[in-house]
Amino acid sequence: MYIAIDAGRCMGHGRCYAVAEDLLSDDEQGYVAQCGQTLQIPEGLLGQARDAADACPEGAISILEHARADA
Amino acid sequence: MTETERGCPYSHVDFGLDTEIYGHYALLDGHREESRFHFNDTTRRGFYMLQRYDDVLEGFQRHETWTTHVRSALNPEPGTALLPQDLNGEAHAKLRRVLNPFFAPAAVKRMTPMAHERCVELIEELRPKGSCDFVAEFAIRYPTDLFLALLGLPVSDGEFFLPWSETLFAGFFGGDPAAAAAAKANIIAYFTEAVRERRANLRDPREDMVSRLVEARIDGEPISEQDILTICMTLMLAGLDTTRSALGYIYTHLARHEEDRRAIVADPGLIPAAVEEFVRLYPLVIQAGREVQEDGEFHGLDLRRGDVMWLGIGSANRDPRKFPEPDRFVLGRKGVNQHLAFGAGPHRCLGMHLARLELAVVLKEWHERIPDYRIKEGTTLVERGGQLTLKTLPLEWEV
Ligand code: HEM
Ligand code: SF4
Repeated sequence: MYIAIDAGRCMGHGRCYAVAEDLLSDDEQGYVAQCGQTLQIPEGLLGQARDAADACPEGAISILEHARADA
Repeated sequence: MTETERGCPYSHVDFGLDTEIYGHYALLDGHREESRFHFNDTTRRGFYMLQRYDDVLEGFQRHETWTTHVRSALNPEPGTALLPQDLNGEAHAKLRRVLNPFFAPAAVKRMTPMAHERCVELIEELRPKGSCDFVAEFAIRYPTDLFLALLGLPVSDGEFFLPWSETLFAGFFGGDPAAAAAAKANIIAYFTEAVRERRANLRDPREDMVSRLVEARIDGEPISEQDILTICMTLMLAGLDTTRSALGYIYTHLARHEEDRRAIVADPGLIPAAVEEFVRLYPLVIQAGREVQEDGEFHGLDLRRGDVMWLGIGSANRDPRKFPEPDRFVLGRKGVNQHLAFGAGPHRCLGMHLARLELAVVLKEWHERIPDYRIKEGTTLVERGGQLTLKTLPLEWEV
């Protein structure tokens, strides 16, 4: 499974990395450092990934079965 | 037949008027369930009200054509200049990039020890008295002190700064305009002096916001003195009244709901989740305004250039389509983080992490020292219209 963060939507609310500490981190602007990336979700962190997606007010985070070809 | 404007039912409710506590939420809930959109005709320009969660969020995200040329649907005139609010598009993004690092979670974390220390001092001052007007004696003083600290100014200046900012706020909500103008002049003179001092003694611009503002270049140009002063003024206007108001509603809730109070006294680890749910449940910025820049359409609603939009934060946060049993305080509510109390899109609240810190620190330090308190018997709590706040909150406790 993959987590994808849409750079166009992310506005730096900083909710995702607050609930998914082991998966995501912040940059100095308060945006998620992994903004614009698609990452494979490590073993055991799917719950955190889903929490991050549920926490983002902008709907910037999706959980994907496969990495998108264009990402 | 109900009258309609472009197919939208009218609302004649003036949301700027004072009510009893929670009066505005009752009105907003009623509106939202009666019709998806309303046209409100209580202001000169009128405004279209978006009220459901999904609609309000989408409104915030339409930032390219719905701009902050109108910042408040209730008060669409330009009024006092505010930065970064008044900017849009690329110019807004550039200024936010200068400011964001001082308000990001990492920066706010650096303020944490000071935030606790100051909070404890204020509580210890009040505790022996056994009672206080929580709004005037605590809830406004604490954010004022932290605001001064954020600007690298002595917290002790709060003593004379606070009466100025209170007089200025009062002016926005019907108070004496001459007194408000005099207070504003004092505040500007105070900020001018602070900026001058910092120009002479530049500190580390990674840690000191005023030094960073003085030193920053946007497209090769420094930020003008005027704009730096506007930014300081904006942070004051945006950060003090809001935090005070949030505390007022939170303490009313906790004074009246012993089980919730006991829960956070017993386990302070619950506080961050409680803060998030409180901010959802008691939105005080009940709306953000926007001005439509291009003719267009919003889910069947015809919009024209120059229309004023009401992005109904207060309705969205209590929309049962998004938050089941929206009137209930639910610790650990699923999806609570998606609430819109701090807005969304590029203008989302700059101070949200600072506000969260302030609220969490107060809940922790207060309940460690004053775990039991009540609202003075016979009090009627009045809520200011426009941007909600409780006018007073008399609390009592055993000493
Ligand atoms: C519980 C407390 C607070 C609430 C509910 C709140 C709410 C909001 C909301 C809803 C907006 C968006 C307005 C819009 O989209 O037009 C906003 C923007 C803003 N807030 Fe807050 N706020 C709070 C505390 C603070 C604090 C403590 C500060 C600063 C010290 C602050 C500074 C700002 C600024 C500068 C903006 C404008 C951002 C921009 O236009 O880019 N706020 N706030
Ligand atoms: S919660 Fe959403 S908007 Fe906020 S930093 Fe994370 S991805 Fe970006």
